[in-house]
Amino acid sequence: MTAYILRRFLHLIPTFLGATFLAFLVIQLAPGDFITRLELDPSYDRSQIENFRRLFGLDQPFTVQYAKWLSGFLKGYLGLSLSYQTDVWSVLKPRILNSMVLVVASVLFIYVVSIPIGIYSALRQYSWGDRFWTTFAFFGLAVPNFFFALLMLYFALWLKDIVGHEVFPIGGMRSLYIDGADFFEAPKWKQWLNILWHAVLPVIVAGTAGTAGLMRVMRTQMLETKMQDYVRTARAKGLAERVVIYKHILRNAVIPIVASIGFLLPELFGGAGFVEIVMAWPGLTPLILDAIFSIDVYIIMGSISISVVLLMIGNLLSDLLLAWVDPRIRYR
Amino acid sequence: MPDVQPTNDLREGLGEQSQSYWQKAWIRFRRHPFSRWAGGVLLLLYVLALFADFVGPYPEAKSFRKLQFVPPTAVHFKTEDGRWTRPYVCKVERTRNPRTFKLEFNENCEKKYTVHFFVHGYPYKFLGFIPMDLHLMGGPWLTEEEAYLFLWGTDDFGRDLFSRIWFGARISLTIGILASIIALILGITFGSISGFYAGQAVHIVRGVFRPPQKRAEEAGDPQAQLHNGFFSGGALAEGWREARRDRRLPAFLLGLVLQYAFWFAAMTVVWTTMQGFLSITQGVERYLAFAVFGGLLAAMAWMVLFGRLAVDVDDLIMRTTEILAAIPGLFLLIILSGMLAQYDLPSSTRFLLVLAILAFVGWGGLARNIRGFVLQLREMEYAQAARALGAGDARILFRHIVPGTLGYLIVVVSLAIPGYILAESGLSFLGLGIQDPSSSWGLLLSKAQQGGMVALKSRPWLFLPGFFIFVSILAYNYLGDALRDALDPRAEH
Repeated sequence: MTAYILRRFLHLIPTFLGATFLAFLVIQLAPGDFITRLELDPSYDRSQIENFRRLFGLDQPFTVQYAKWLSGFLKGYLGLSLSYQTDVWSVLKPRILNSMVLVVASVLFIYVVSIPIGIYSALRQYSWGDRFWTTFAFFGLAVPNFFFALLMLYFALWLKDIVGHEVFPIGGMRSLYIDGADFFEAPKWKQWLNILWHAVLPVIVAGTAGTAGLMRVMRTQMLETKMQDYVRTARAKGLAERVVIYKHILRNAVIPIVASIGFLLPELFGGAGFVEIVMAWPGLTPLILDAIFSIDVYIIMGSISISVVLLMIGNLLSDLLLAWVDPRIRYR
Repeated sequence: MPDVQPTNDLREGLGEQSQSYWQKAWIRFRRHPFSRWAGGVLLLLYVLALFADFVGPYPEAKSFRKLQFVPPTAVHFKTEDGRWTRPYVCKVERTRNPRTFKLEFNENCEKKYTVHFFVHGYPYKFLGFIPMDLHLMGGPWLTEEEAYLFLWGTDDFGRDLFSRIWFGARISLTIGILASIIALILGITFGSISGFYAGQAVHIVRGVFRPPQKRAEEAGDPQAQLHNGFFSGGALAEGWREARRDRRLPAFLLGLVLQYAFWFAAMTVVWTTMQGFLSITQGVERYLAFAVFGGLLAAMAWMVLFGRLAVDVDDLIMRTTEILAAIPGLFLLIILSGMLAQYDLPSSTRFLLVLAILAFVGWGGLARNIRGFVLQLREMEYAQAARALGAGDARILFRHIVPGTLGYLIVVVSLAIPGYILAESGLSFLGLGIQDPSSSWGLLLSKAQQGGMVALKSRPWLFLPGFFIFVSILAYNYLGDALRDALDPRAEH
């Protein structure tokens, strides 16, 4: 086992180098660089622009830039953001935390909602409830995230017109004022409550596709385990139905789901996606999009490298978890 | 008479035709509750997209600058006194509300404009080369711009949303199919090469000279002279002899040229990187970098001079797909198209670009799955039999092995298409995909969030493209589900 883990870790090194180099290469595809925009600005003269280039190392060949970035990354330094003029981590950190509120809440939402429904659907296959949830799952998987977010905004606006005040907030992550006072002067619990209130609709949007997907996985898993011989044996030897379901079927059915928890790791730090853009949540995704448009190399590289590292570790973790929960699987 | 009956039955049973895999699959497919609905909806959407010029009353880029965000034109079926009549529309006039200073669009029903069907309208080229001017709806008033027929309102440039949705359908619905076909071709090629040649080593570098650490052979061996020679004992000469023996010299020489070109390029890159890097660093980092780069260069030089490095093609391709998979898909998609969206490109090039990006991001997973299949299938008796009969690798691969994965491939493609449709509309929604004046559903939907939250509420018709994305993805998902149940006998439950 130790040898297996060690070998997997060694495999991560070339993958990491390859993935980050690929990302760096992709960024070089853009026309010009961050400074190109300044060239159009008549208030900068040539020598100033050349100085900027030299300062950020943009005058070097891109392999040198990559090597420099890599050596910084190995020392734990993600580089300098060109548009924010500070180091990348201090730009990324608050955005990642903001996104994490959404992601953690939607992950909880996904697991709490979909697993019981999946179990119910499988146990009462082809009942009306099962049909309803299966249809729901298909709808949830088909609705584009950004479209659903727009619909939710519309819903919030419509509700506001009907009721007369904001039942759900319309975009954003926090109110400017709480009870007439400034947001930051309010007690901590009120601040959190305010943020959670803002998170309700985005969480529903971000969680729907995941809920639908997990629900279907859970249902198929349950149905598959229900057919196994050991379930029949358990019934034949006269175990109570409750014991058969929870000890024999459910425990085996959740194995792949438990193992997939490792995949959550990169998601936690990866931003919530389109929802953040449509619903004006100040998370990681809008930041990355801005960075892409202004070719802010190190912001992009910073967030990509974090995702890459976490994705690889998450995959490894998933494999190990699978071996841990399922004794039938052995690694050499 | 009753004793005749059973024999008849028996005979009928004997004469019954056996069903092939595909016939059974077709029966299973039709049994799926929603497969027909999904197929019907998709067929309808594709037909409407094909006849977009005919269905939509306006050309794709026709814009009315003064008629931005006009709400859907009401089609009246009754006259003012309540009698049924032919459908007609009224002229829409733009006024500014004197109190709120907002633009308002009011109907002016003094003159009625009857909606005619199958009329001549704006000229277009059907299928790109047949000049026509037949439209489903309209009238002479439409081309003379006396009144307007905006069934689903207009967008930010005053373009008819109804027409543009059908033009957008062309891009949104075809890009999924094309992208999955390209990804499939890449996936089949690399996946089958990877699986078929798994375990066979390919030299990526052969040293020119005999490695000094290799022990000299005893003089008694007749081959000793050859193996002990400074040049003839090297990996390069050995490969040359093997290639001559197997009569594949051209391939060997081509490989050799590619090898040395690659190593030369790689060493140049490392050399320039080292120089640049050393010029901008100092202290410990400088020494470390010197050691790392120097070691790298020395190792490469050793390899070219004396070494020999053979890798499994399978390993090489799988490592590449792993690298692709290590970057979260949406992330890679967004940075790739974000970087390329900054070029000023004609719309057809942009379409191809989005297509290429989608396929590039998607082929890795396919290749991995196909490799798994090929690994299994190449050990099958029929593949071995084909080899025994003297069939070449390509023939075995494409006549015997790849067809075995067909059922799986159909399912994968039908499940991949909605993903690509979603990806394309997402990119276009962000402004990174298809751009004006072309249209795609994602781009059309992005107009809904222009002008902030208040505008969102007052222009609900701009949500329509989103419903089309939703419906087409839903239909494809149902279709894929039905196909999976039909083609994968294991999934029968």
